[in-house]
Amino acid sequence: MQSAPTSAPGCDIVVSCRGVTKSYGSDEAKVAALRGIDLDVRRGELLMIVGPSGCGKTTLISVITTILNHDAGECNVLGRDVQRMSEQERAVFRSKSIGFVFQLFNLLPALTAVENVAIPLLIEGVPWKSAKSRANELLATIGLGARTTALPANLSGGQQQRVAIARAVVHDPALLVCDEPTSNLDHETGHAVMEVLRSLTEKSNRTVIVVTHDHRIFEFADRIARMDDGRITEIVEGKDREQVP
Amino acid sequence: MLRVAVKMLLGDRVKYAGLLIGIAFTSFLVTFAGSYFAGFMTRGFALITENPRTDVWVMDPAVRSVEPTTNMPSSALDRVRSVEGVSTAVPLALGRADVRFPNGRFQSFQVVGVDDATLAGVPPLQDGVTAMALRAPDAVIVDPGGTTGKLQTPVETADQWYGGPPRLNVPTRKLGPGDDLLVNDRRVTVVGRARALSRYPPRPLLYTTYSNALRILLPERRRLTFVLVTAAPGLAPRALARRIEDRTGLRARASDDFKADTVWWILANSEDVGDIETMLSIAILVGFGVMGVLLYMFTNENLRQYAVLRAMGATPQRLMTMIFVQAALCAIIGTGLGLGVCAVAGQFLTGSDYPFRMMWFTPAVGALMVFIVSVVSAAISARCALTLEPGIVFSGR
Ligand SMILES: Nc1ncnc2c1ncn2[C@@H]1O[C@H](COP(=O)(O)OP(=O)(O)O)[C@@H](O)[C@H]1O
Ligand SMILES: [Mg+2]
Repeated sequence: MQSAPTSAPGCDIVVSCRGVTKSYGSDEAKVAALRGIDLDVRRGELLMIVGPSGCGKTTLISVITTILNHDAGECNVLGRDVQRMSEQERAVFRSKSIGFVFQLFNLLPALTAVENVAIPLLIEGVPWKSAKSRANELLATIGLGARTTALPANLSGGQQQRVAIARAVVHDPALLVCDEPTSNLDHETGHAVMEVLRSLTEKSNRTVIVVTHDHRIFEFADRIARMDDGRITEIVEGKDREQVP
Repeated sequence: MLRVAVKMLLGDRVKYAGLLIGIAFTSFLVTFAGSYFAGFMTRGFALITENPRTDVWVMDPAVRSVEPTTNMPSSALDRVRSVEGVSTAVPLALGRADVRFPNGRFQSFQVVGVDDATLAGVPPLQDGVTAMALRAPDAVIVDPGGTTGKLQTPVETADQWYGGPPRLNVPTRKLGPGDDLLVNDRRVTVVGRARALSRYPPRPLLYTTYSNALRILLPERRRLTFVLVTAAPGLAPRALARRIEDRTGLRARASDDFKADTVWWILANSEDVGDIETMLSIAILVGFGVMGVLLYMFTNENLRQYAVLRAMGATPQRLMTMIFVQAALCAIIGTGLGLGVCAVAGQFLTGSDYPFRMMWFTPAVGALMVFIVSVVSAAISARCALTLEPGIVFSGR
């Protein structure tokens, strides 16, 4: 069952990009970051985007998550044409439908683990009491039940990233986007973090996009998209990942 | 989310403390400066305050404040007394005299000549002396009037100067009852020391009777400076003042209005006030500059956190609310601290002889200015947080 680019919720294609371009700066100083991206992301899959530094991976996920406006082409996410959304609509869309995991964790340093995890619920307007209990439950399921009141500074890198993942899924978003989630972690910790990520997404049929350099976590991918110089050069199934250099 | 905003603020103890101290210091500075200023102004109309029973002050039509003054013909007193509604009207003579101490040192005094009959206008006296003492011939009462060390007379009678060369560097003691002074070549005797209000500008005061004042001041055709009027029961001072003006052609002001006149006159005409204003303005501007920069820095250092919140879908309005709540919290607590410290300082200072009056409007002005600066710096910070590319959250820096 193949969907048109303008897929509606319930269809198999969650993200659909056709000829998406984006450049930074103007005139002489112009940098073309995306030179025509064609990409479909299927519901429930874990897609990894790999490629050399500066090839446009971050720019691509910024466009997909409505943080950045693209220049031309079409980009549909969860049945919405991102180009047609107002700033306000984008904010609401992000708060309801998208979860973020960042390379540098980006936890708020003044907030405890449980408070950090509760933020997306608070943004949605959930009262503090219920947001907190939901966040506590989630932290317990990923083995951080004993550290809920710790400040980020008192957590290890791996623990921080697990808290960040809990924060990214606490509001049950349809799409989870991770930018280099393991590149600030050692191999073992990175592996453990990916395990947590998988455990939190497998059952829920949530779509996950992971941008990474880290070939050691390729085993978690359903598909791997290779990018170079602003284009998707090939997409391979995860079981064929040995073909990806 | 407000909970998050407050946590963000309190989370960084050092920055938060810095912010609070900055704001507290600034509001303290403004309130203190305002109170100091009010203290000076209060001293400007000390003479009016010292005559609380007076309802209306009558003066030459050209006079605009208790200082400086020009005099009226003595017939003015009778003209005022003949206006209906005037209960009592007594003369007051003000003059300036260079007074010589027994060792030859000279010092400029303000001479206050009070009504011989009622002695109205003599301030409270020290050492159990009563105003009656002024009825003795050539009697005067002295007061430092806000100065220090100016009422010193030689300890030894041998150090008396009369006639010979002045003896300025001899041991001295405080001027007191029984001491002599020379005013315009007329000898007067100190019968007491007053506890008058400090003056602005400060200078020693010499109280005596109206008739004695006429005798010791340099001869002038007119000597009557003010007529102090009390109104008949039930008559409003302002109404009486208007009536006196209509009937006599003199200027008449209700006491409160005359105080206000005096403050305006000092504000408009005193060079000292201009200097104080400039200095205080600089201090206040620096304080507010520091405070604004601190507030701005706080948000600026948290920009990444705001970007994370924005990426996660917090709307601009929500971020703005958070920033303003943070600024408001700092402003309120900081202002409270500053005003508290100022009030405590004021308690100590009013005990000593320091021009400090914390009137209702000084803390209000301090709080208002803190409020304005907070709003402005919060607005600038909010602009930064909102125009920021939320994409920076992805950067690996
Ligand atoms: N805000 C920006 N302004 C200008 N150029 C940018 C900006 N962000 C990224 N670029 C440029 O766009 C290209 C793609 O960047 P990016 O998407 O961050 O690549 P990747 O994430 O694959 O390393 C790079 O050449 C980068 O220098
Ligand atoms: Mg990148």
